[in-house]
Amino acid sequence: MSRRIRLAVVPARRIFIGRLLALGFVFVVLAVVLAMLGLKLGMVARLVVTSTFGTKFGLEDLALYMTPLLMTGAAVWLGLRAGLWNIGAEGQFLAGATAATAIGLFLPASALVSLPLAALAGLLAGALWSAVPAAGRAWLGVSEIITTLLLNFIASFMVYYLVTGPWADRVTGAQVSSERLHVALPVIHGVVHWGGVLGLVIVVAMGLSLGRSRFGYELALSGSNPTAAHYAGVSVAPRIFVALLFSGALAGLGGMMEVLGTVHRLQGGLAHGYGYLGIVVALLARKSAFALIPAAFLMAVILNTGIVLQTLQVSASSVLAITGLLVFAIAVSDELAAYVKLETQK
Amino acid sequence: MSEQSVTGDRRPVDLPAGTPPLLTLSGIAKYFPGVIANKDVSIDFYPGEIHALLGENGAGKSTLMNIVTGLYQPDEGELILNGYGVSFDSPEAAIAAGIGMVHQHFKLVSRFTVAENLALGWRETRRWLSASEMARRAEAEAARYGLDIKASAPIDSLTAGEQQRVEILRVLSRGASLLILDEPTAVLSPLEVGELYAALRRFRDGGGAVILISHKLDEIMALADRVTVLRHGRVAGTHKVSAIDPATLVTEMIGRPVEQKSAYPRKSPREKDSCVIRLDNVSCRDGAGRVRLHPVSLDIRVGEILGVAGVTGNGQSELADLLAGLQAPQGGRVLVDGKEMGGVSPKAFREAGIGYVPEDRLHKALAPALSVTENTVMRVFREHPIGGRLVYHASEALRFTRSLLERAQVSLSDPATPIRALSGGNQQRLVLARERMISDRALIASYPSRGLDIGAIAVMRETLADIRDEGRAVVLISEDLDELMALSDRIAVLCGGRLMTVLEKDDFDLARIGALMSGREKEHG
Repeated sequence: MSRRIRLAVVPARRIFIGRLLALGFVFVVLAVVLAMLGLKLGMVARLVVTSTFGTKFGLEDLALYMTPLLMTGAAVWLGLRAGLWNIGAEGQFLAGATAATAIGLFLPASALVSLPLAALAGLLAGALWSAVPAAGRAWLGVSEIITTLLLNFIASFMVYYLVTGPWADRVTGAQVSSERLHVALPVIHGVVHWGGVLGLVIVVAMGLSLGRSRFGYELALSGSNPTAAHYAGVSVAPRIFVALLFSGALAGLGGMMEVLGTVHRLQGGLAHGYGYLGIVVALLARKSAFALIPAAFLMAVILNTGIVLQTLQVSASSVLAITGLLVFAIAVSDELAAYVKLETQK
Repeated sequence: MSEQSVTGDRRPVDLPAGTPPLLTLSGIAKYFPGVIANKDVSIDFYPGEIHALLGENGAGKSTLMNIVTGLYQPDEGELILNGYGVSFDSPEAAIAAGIGMVHQHFKLVSRFTVAENLALGWRETRRWLSASEMARRAEAEAARYGLDIKASAPIDSLTAGEQQRVEILRVLSRGASLLILDEPTAVLSPLEVGELYAALRRFRDGGGAVILISHKLDEIMALADRVTVLRHGRVAGTHKVSAIDPATLVTEMIGRPVEQKSAYPRKSPREKDSCVIRLDNVSCRDGAGRVRLHPVSLDIRVGEILGVAGVTGNGQSELADLLAGLQAPQGGRVLVDGKEMGGVSPKAFREAGIGYVPEDRLHKALAPALSVTENTVMRVFREHPIGGRLVYHASEALRFTRSLLERAQVSLSDPATPIRALSGGNQQRLVLARERMISDRALIASYPSRGLDIGAIAVMRETLADIRDEGRAVVLISEDLDELMALSDRIAVLCGGRLMTVLEKDDFDLARIGALMSGREKEHG
C-alpha cells in the first residue's frame, strides 16, 4: 500500500517539473477558451510565435517589456528576502518616472550630465516613495502591504495631475501626456535601449552580492525570524527600513528607464501594471535573484501574447486572466511538488 | 521483567472478571519516510484505570495518540472500541466515539470566558446564545464532574492550572469516556498537581479510562495503575505500577540502564570567587505593563552553576533574557564583569562571552526556514573567518558548520537543509554546541534537557559541569529538581516573579524547594 507524505525540503527538480506541468495546464485552459471563442488554435499559436519571436518588432517588444518587469521584479524580490511585501512597486515606479521626467523636461544639460542625474533622481524618488511605509513598518509595526499599496493610487493621480495640468503637452497636444523629453537612454538596436542591460547587470550584481555580504545574511535572518535576529545581535528595524528603501529605489530606477528609454513621455497609464506584475515575477523567481531573468522573460512573453490576442478581438483583460491563472497554477504545483508517494510494505 | 510479566499484567487485578477493555490497540503500525513511528503496538485500555504511556522523545507516544484521536490513520492493525473495530477518519469521529484529548498546549480561546469556551464543544449549543444559559450549563457540568471553575471569567485571567481544568471539563462534557492527557503537570504548581491527581482519580473511580503520557517517573508511580513503555515505536512492556520499580522502567525505556548522576564533583578546586554577571535590583514588565520580575539582586560567579527553580512562567524566561541582554531591565542595573550594560544589546552580551540557550529554541534562537548553515553561524557571522565588516564567506560558514555538526554529534548530509527539517533533539544539540562555543564567560541555559533523550541529557549535564570546571559560569534554569540539585552550587527559587531565596548547596532540600516554588516560605507542619 502507499500513502502520500509531505517533504520538508522540496528538491528544485521537483519544483521545476511541477512548474512545467502548471505552464502546460495554463496552455490547455487557454486553448480551450480560445477554441470556444471560435478561433483556430493552430493559427493563433503560429501568430503568437511568429509575431513574438519571428519578427524584429516582436523581439524588440519583448526586450522593452522585460526591462521594467526585471526592475519591479527585483524590487519585490528584495523586499521578500527581508520578509516584506512591497506591493507599492507600481507607485515607486511612477515616482521614479516622474522625477526622471522633471530632469528631462527642465534641465538644460547634455545627456552625459542629465542621464546620470535622471537615474539618481529615479532612484531617490522611488526610495522616497517607499520611505514612509518603510519607517512605519520598521519602527511602528504598520503593515507595509497596506501602506505601499495605498501610495500607488496617490502616485497614479499625481502623474495624471501633472500630465493634464502643469506638465501637459502644449506642443503636439497629446492627451494625458507630457511633451516629448529632450533626453533619452541610448539605444542598442532599433528601439531597444541600454536600460535592459543595466537591469540585467543590477539583478546579477544583487544576486551575487547578497549571498556574499554580511548585509545579505542579516537581511535574510531579519526576514526569516526577527526574534532570532535580535538574539543574534542584529538590529532588525534599520535593516527592514533600508531593505524597503532599496526596494523602492529599484522600482524607481525602472520607472526612469521606462520613461527615458521606451515611452519618452510621462503618461497617465505609464506604469501599465508593471508594479503588480513584478510581484508575479518575484514569486516565480522564488529564492534566486538570477531566476528573476527567466521569470521576467516569461511575463514579457505573456504580455506580448496578450497583444496578439487583442488583434484577434480577444479582450485586453485576457493578459490579467492568463497571469492570474499562471500564478494560481504555480502556487498549486509548488505545493503539490512537496508530496511524494511513500511505499510501505504490507 | 520479561514476557511473563507482560502477559501476566495485561489486565488489572481489581476489575471484576470478564470486564472487557474499553479500547484495544491491536498490532498498530505507522510509517513515515525512513522512520517506523509505531510497529506491532498492542495495548488494552480498561475502564476504571489510569494507564501511563512512558517513552523517550521519538519513542512513538505522540504518533500513537494521534492515531487514537483520529489525526492519523494506522498503516496496519486495528482499533477496537467496546468490542467493535473502528476507524476514525477525523478527530471529530474520535470525539463522537468518546475519546477526548487534553493537549499540552491548551486549545482555548483566550479572550472568551470559561462558559463560552465550554459551549464551543457542545453539540447542543443553540444558534442563539444566551450568556446566562451558557454559564448555568457550565456550572452544572462543573458540579457534575467535581471540577471547580469560574464560569464567567475570561480564559486569559486564569492560571495554567485553571485553564487545564477548563480544558478537561470541555473534553468530559462532550461525553468522553477515555481521557488522554499529554504531559499534564508540565505547567502546574505542586498544589495544582495535587488537585489534578484528585480529579483524575475521581474520573477513574467513576468508570472512566485515562491515558497519561508522561516521562516523569514519579508522576507515573504516584498516579497510574498500569504503565506501558514504548521504545523505538514498539511496546517494550506493560506493567502494574504496584509491581515495578522506577529503575526497571528506565532500563526498559532506553534499553540499557542509564544512571543520571546525582552529583558532579569538581575535577579541580575552584580558584577564585569573582562575579561575572551582577544583577542590581533589576525588574521587568511585559508589554501590558504587568510586573514579570520584581526587583532582583543576584551575583553569578565564575566557576559555579547557579540553578534557578520555579514553576514554568514565574519569571524564569524574563530573568534569562535579562542575563543574556535580550531584554533591558525597566529598573536597576545589569553589570557584566563590573561594567554596566546600558540598554538592550544582545550583541554586547555575546561579545562579552555570554551564551544563551533560550527556552523556545526554535523561535528564539533559530530561524526555522533558513538553512542549517545560516543558523549555525548566527552567533559568529561577524567574525573572521566567516565575516568581516561587509563580507560573508559562504564557504567558511559551511566549513564551520561541518565542524560544529561533528562536535554536536549530529549527522546531516546537506547543511543547506532548512533547520526546521531536523528533529527537535538535533536542533537542541546544535544550539547547545553553538552557545557553548561562544560562552567564554557564562552560559545561560533554559531547560536544556527539554527535547533530549536520557542518553543525551547525561552528555549535556557533563558538558555543563565541564564549563563550570573551566572556570566559567552556568545559569541552569530547569523544572527538574533532581537535575538542579545534582548540578547546582546554589539554587535560586522564583515564584510569581519574586526571588524567594538563594539556597546554598548544604541547604538543598526537595521539600523546601517545592514549598518555596509554590510561594510558601516554609513547608507546612
